[in-house]
Amino acid sequence: MTTALFILGSLGSFSSSVVAQPETVSDSAENSGDVFVTDSFSARQFEDRQPETLAFDSERVIVGAEFLNLYTGPGRGYVIDHVVEYGEPLWLLKRRTDWVKVMTRTGKTGWAKIADLDEIYTTEGEQVVVPTPGIDDYRDQSLRVGFAYGDFAGANSMGLSLGYRFTGNLSAELRAAQTIGAYSDSRTFQVAVVHQPFPQWRVSPYFLLGTGVNITSPNATIVATEDRQDTTMLSGIGITTYLSRRFALRAEVANHYLLTSREENQEIVEWKLGFDVFM
Amino acid sequence: METRIRRIYVKLASLLLAGAMSSTALAQSSGDIDDIISPDLERREIREAKIDSEDFEFTVYLGGILSVEDFGSNSMIGGSLAYHINEDFFMEAAYGQATLGESSYERLSGSAPLLSDDERDLSLYNLSLAWNFLPGEIFILDKFALNSNLYLIGGAGNTNFAGEEHFTYNVGIGVRMLAQDWLALRLDVRDHIFEHEIFGEPLTTNNLSAQLGVSIYF
Repeated sequence: MTTALFILGSLGSFSSSVVAQPETVSDSAENSGDVFVTDSFSARQFEDRQPETLAFDSERVIVGAEFLNLYTGPGRGYVIDHVVEYGEPLWLLKRRTDWVKVMTRTGKTGWAKIADLDEIYTTEGEQVVVPTPGIDDYRDQSLRVGFAYGDFAGANSMGLSLGYRFTGNLSAELRAAQTIGAYSDSRTFQVAVVHQPFPQWRVSPYFLLGTGVNITSPNATIVATEDRQDTTMLSGIGITTYLSRRFALRAEVANHYLLTSREENQEIVEWKLGFDVFM
Repeated sequence: METRIRRIYVKLASLLLAGAMSSTALAQSSGDIDDIISPDLERREIREAKIDSEDFEFTVYLGGILSVEDFGSNSMIGGSLAYHINEDFFMEAAYGQATLGESSYERLSGSAPLLSDDERDLSLYNLSLAWNFLPGEIFILDKFALNSNLYLIGGAGNTNFAGEEHFTYNVGIGVRMLAQDWLALRLDVRDHIFEHEIFGEPLTTNNLSAQLGVSIYF
């Protein structure tokens, strides 16, 4: 019995040492680890050459991925006509949508996908990321531009909006819209505050409050009247959903309360569907 | 009986094992606790590249033709401003102007013209979304291979003529050829669909336009 316990005990200690072992192995691997890309053999090999035609403000980076495909244009439909290797320097020229135009050390230019540029470094070894437009986080401050089409109390409307998000919940919007109806046409210009209580939701509701002017011109063929300009109060609710980092759809119903100079104020309900693009 | 003893041994063994492991774990965690709280990991510095973007495209129509149902085909001037959302989509605001001709009725009947000169000035704008659905290359003779894309575009806007505003849908297709990264030639054809009541009754019209433009990315 005691011998058995002794054997078991030694087994136990042995197993614990087995458990401990892999850590030391991985430690030593890390310590003796591979050379950093900017100090690597290939990076030094490539270092001296530089293209002759180079814009003064282009940034030099070193490729840390095994290879990088360069396309002839900023899109997946264009041809890959060049490949840059690990350790090779690159100069970043400009960005269009999710692509970056780069120049290689031989002066060859091409377009690289930003997603493929996740491992580029400066000569000092600092990692470089290419900023992409759009929104990574719902708390980000961001600028957006949107188009919207809708129904303005029976009339067709289309509009443009420019929004700025201050915090995750709160943004301000400038809106301009034109509506064309059977009896009258109008133009509306508004400033609104938009509140999104749950910006992290996939489909996120919002509320808006605003004010502006509404310029109505009755159709002259029916009645000969002058244009009216009324101050409006705007309130509305809507939902918005991201289809990608840059693109969100939105649907909205808004109540325009026109403070008219006539005896009664006028209420107009507007429904619209649109999209926002984050810049 | 024997199996029971064996079971006891196994239980004891597992207990011991567990004890040994947890004790080493404990020893380790108490020893390394400082390292965990203040890790001496070398933090990677990450910096954003200082890089210019070129997502906007401004187009001037070199030549355009707008055919308005019953009022002939007339030259159109205008331009557009596009914002490229990604490689597949762009949004565009476009504006155009044309002066309409006489309708056949006006020419043949010899009666007073339907519209005054001012009313013959047409202006239109639209807000559209386009899809670059066929990117590729266009080859010109032996020497040139130009990047290109074919896009489908559609949206809504307004057409102002005959003293009236007309809500207008537009759908179209276009081709863009890039001579340089920042310079392109565009040819697009649109159908502007709107309803008017100039002849007394509401009439939905399809008005085709074709425009050749030069665009600059900035």
